[in-house]
Formats: sequence, C-alpha cells, structure tokens
Amino acid sequence: MSENKKWHSLDLGLNKKKEASGACGCGKSQGSCNSQEEELSADEFYEAAINASIGDERQRDGFEQVFDVKMDRRTAFKKLTASLLIGAGAVSTSCSVVAGDDTKEKAQIDWEEQFKGNYKLMNDEEKQGTINRLMRSYELRTGKNISMTAENAEEDVLFGYAFNISKCQGYMDCVSACVEENNQDRNSQMQYIRIHEMKDGEGFKFDKADDNYYHEVPAEGHFYLGTQCFHCDNPPCVEVCPVQATWKEEDGLVVIDYDWCIGCRYCMAACPYDGRRFNWSKPEVPANEINKNQHYLGNRMRKKGVMEKCTFCVQRSRKGKNPACVDACPTGARIFGNLLDPNSTIRWVLENKKVFRLKEDLGTEPKFWYFMD
Amino acid sequence: MKNKNLTYYFLILLAVSFFSCKKEGEYHSITDKIEAESKPYHGKLTSDELLAGSELMEITEGKHTFLILERKGQIKSFACIECHSKPVTQMKSLDGQKAHWDIKMNHANSEIINCATCHNGKDMNNLNSLTGKNIDFNLSYKLCAQCHSSQFEDWKGGAHGKKVAGWAPPRASMTCVNCHNPHSPGYETRWPVQFNTQKGIERKEGLDH
Ligand code: SF4
Ligand code: SF4
Repeated sequence: MSENKKWHSLDLGLNKKKEASGACGCGKSQGSCNSQEEELSADEFYEAAINASIGDERQRDGFEQVFDVKMDRRTAFKKLTASLLIGAGAVSTSCSVVAGDDTKEKAQIDWEEQFKGNYKLMNDEEKQGTINRLMRSYELRTGKNISMTAENAEEDVLFGYAFNISKCQGYMDCVSACVEENNQDRNSQMQYIRIHEMKDGEGFKFDKADDNYYHEVPAEGHFYLGTQCFHCDNPPCVEVCPVQATWKEEDGLVVIDYDWCIGCRYCMAACPYDGRRFNWSKPEVPANEINKNQHYLGNRMRKKGVMEKCTFCVQRSRKGKNPACVDACPTGARIFGNLLDPNSTIRWVLENKKVFRLKEDLGTEPKFWYFMD
Repeated sequence: MKNKNLTYYFLILLAVSFFSCKKEGEYHSITDKIEAESKPYHGKLTSDELLAGSELMEITEGKHTFLILERKGQIKSFACIECHSKPVTQMKSLDGQKAHWDIKMNHANSEIINCATCHNGKDMNNLNSLTGKNIDFNLSYKLCAQCHSSQFEDWKGGAHGKKVAGWAPPRASMTCVNCHNPHSPGYETRWPVQFNTQKGIERKEGLDH
C-alpha cells in the first residue's frame, strides 16, 4: 500500500519528506505503533501534523507558497487548509493505540485521497488505485459495496447527441431517469436536464420558457426543448477552470474531477448554456436508491462544494450503452452515438436532417444538435 | 533590386504560413473534425451483450441494413388462424362474445382506413398491403410505410424511433409497432413524471433568475 502513492507523482520537491511521514509517524499503515508518538502533547502533536502535511512549506511565507514555481496554486490552498485538519486526523488515528484497524484504514485512505494527483494526469494503475480506495472507503463507512470503474475513452469514438424538437412531448421521463442514474442530490432536487416549455410561434425564448411546469403535457399551443451540458468541442468552462479540474476527454466528454474541483464556480459562469450544477449542500441520496454502478468521472457520490453536470452517462456510454435519458425517452426524441462512425444513426441525422445548435455563433461547438421532423 | 525584395517577401510569407500551421489534430470546427477522422467503428465496444436477450432479425431497406425485433413471438394470440378458421363474416355473429373487444380504432378516419386496409379476412396470418399483397407480421413496418413515407425515411436512417439498446454496433432498431399501437398510434397527454418543488419555492422567493 505504501508504494504507488498518489502524491509522489506531484514533484514538488517535498517527496522525501512525505515518504517518511506517509502512512503514519512510524511508517506502518495498519496496526498500532508502539513508538513514543502517542505520548505527544497536544502542541507537539499539532506541530507533527503540520510537519507531516506541509513540511518545509511552513518555513516559507504565503507569497512564496502560492507563487513558487515548484508548487501550483491548488497544492498551496490544500496544504494550508483542509490538509492540515485531515492530515492531523490521519496521523493521530493511524498512530493511536486505541483506534481500531478499520479506523486506521479509513484514515489511511483519507490521507492518500487527500494528496492524490489530478485524475487527468494519472496512469491506469493510479486510476485503479484511487477507485479501489474510494470503493473500500465506501464499504468501511456504510458496510455496503459499490462498483466503480475508470474506463478511459475508446479510440475512434467521439460522442454526439441529437434532439428532435418535434418529438419531445414534455413528459420528463429523461429528467427522472437522469436523477436516478446519476445519484443527483434529492434534497435540492438537482436536475441536469431541463425541458423548456415554449409557446408555439414565438421561437426560442428561454427567458419566457417554463422549465418547471406541472400540468398535462403536451400542452396546447406549446412545444418542448431539452437542454443539458452539450459537451462543447471548444468548451469555455474548461478554459476558465483555475485548477484544471474539468477537461475534455478524447471521446469528447467534458468531465469534472470532483476531488480536484475547488468549487469556485468559474465554469458555471463561463458556460453559455446553463449546463453546470453546483452542490451548495451535501448531496443526499437515500441508501436504497443509490446507483451502485459508478464511474470516477460520472455518477459517483459527490460532496458539498463541488461542481457537477451531465457526463453523457460516462458510466454507461463507455460500456456501449446509451445515456439513461436516451433509453428513458418514450418518444425517440433523443439520439446518441459515435460521430466518427459514418454508419451511425447520429451521423445520418447530421447529414440528412436540418440540424442546428444553440448559440452557434459563440464558437463553443456543442456536440448536441437539434432538429425537427 | 525590386525582384530581390519580392523574393524576400515571398520567403517571409512562406515561413509565416509554415509556422502558423495549425497543430496536428486541431480543426476549425467539429464538422471538419468529424469529416477528417471519420471511419466505420469496429472497436472494442459492441451492443451484442445488451441485445443478447432479444429475438432479432436482419432487414435491408435501401442502403440500410440493420436488426429489428421479431414480432410474431410477441403477439399473444398468434397464429391468428387458430381461431380465425372461418372467414370473419361468418364468425361475427356466432354468440354475443367478442374477441379483440379491447381494440379501439383511433387511426385516421374510416374513410381512409378500416380493418381490411391492413388485415386480410381470408388470410388472417398475414397482413395485407394496399394492393392486396401479403406482408409478414414481422415486417409490419412495410405496411405503415405505405402512408407514412417520410417517417419511414427517417426511421431507416435512424432519426425516427429508438434503438433497442446501446449506441455501439450492431444497430438494432425498434419498429413502428414497438412504440405505437397500430390501432391507436398517437401519444396520449399525461402528467410529467418530475416536478421540482425546490425550484418552485426558489421561484416564489424570487431567487430564480
Ligand atoms: S455546455 Fe457548458 S458545461 Fe457543457 S461543455 Fe459546453 S460550456 Fe461546458
Ligand atoms: S467550480 Fe468549475 S472552474 Fe471552479 S474548480 Fe470546480 S470545475 Fe474548475
């Protein structure tokens, strides 16, 4: 367990320090230490915790810590705040004689998760490492198992989506399937998909449209249009993220590393399509409703203060399945497929129907087209 | 002298255009990218596993060859001649009991369509084209295509209708009757399944933008 640690890959010139203090003061990841470290007074302990988590950085002033080329901004923030607490907690539990093995393992996992690198930069082994930790941690916390995967983008695949405005009847089966599939917060009733009810003959007036109607549908004299993250090929949300917690994958999916996101919401402001959703509170899903088939970049449980959004159901699409909304739609208004495959149905739609995208002039190049019969 | 200048200009132009060449793999637009990298997908992902439980058959319509769901096995009372041993006219008034009592025709109007437009009273095991030719129940889409030609075009291409499962090849599409009741093909109005009360509250409080 002690090799293959995530924080080794960030070469900040601190590696030696961390290696020594990795598992706990005594270098064991499990079991108890019988060193003198339990005897530490509160002050000494605090000192040790700081040493363990930020080491040399403590000697430098804030400016150096933030702007020193050897360290990126995120690392600095992390070190100065949360790491201190979690690191201290981890050191204290993993070195304590009284804490049980489970608690220590939990602390060990927390520690390694805290200092892991950006998912985007991980190799496959490291990705496997982090999902194993996350699954184990879930098991330790809840006593239940989840299955989490980390499939990479497939070669020769570029995902795209088409939406038939003439077919959508406003039933919102897609919305509800999405909420269930993607473990969205039930408390704040988060929804990735919005179905806008618009008046016939008035064109697309999103400010006048109703995306929270509750009456029999389709309503007389109205049409329906769905929006969600469009997985832009030139995504402004990715551009603005100060910590590169969101990026475009090779298969065109725009994804977020929930563990790297600092919750600044720049991306939310940059998205011209209202595609992103923020967790203002701790997302809650009833235990029996949790979808246990998860992907690291997709529907795994999020935490308070991070961004999330539609991922074209990465946990499904990278296995060859359709996103949940496509399968749930009873009218066939939603078409999903591989844009690079000339034999795919999505390609036929793009080549034979009169398709358009929203705000095309912005140059964001959404991979989400609308068409009518 | 002038010539020499021109040559210089030319060289500079060449150099500039050389260096400003776009990086490999970067395209002006997504359509350029799709065009440039287009190739039939024969990768690792398939829908085979997802389709394993479905009874499928391959059809070719125009340029399109794909799978559809077998139908006869899904019709509870097939084969029809197990009951329809006599012509319909003779069966009609036997006793008060009606088979197919639940069928309500709500498909265009009786000037255009009636039972005999699609069913052949003399051969109940097959469907009946407008010109009186047999159409197999498994290929009932051909019957629909007689009138709904634009929907048929869209369906063949994949713009109308749904796939059975998965985006990856092989393509297996639902046929008309998998989504539409042929006797009453329209979609009903109904209540949406989702209602976001939270959003309603925020809107009332004026928090919604
Ligand atoms: S729709 Fe918005 S969130 Fe999605 S990729 Fe485009 S800019 Fe980003
Ligand atoms: S909120 Fe958006 S921009 Fe800010 S860190 Fe998270 S993903 Fe990046």
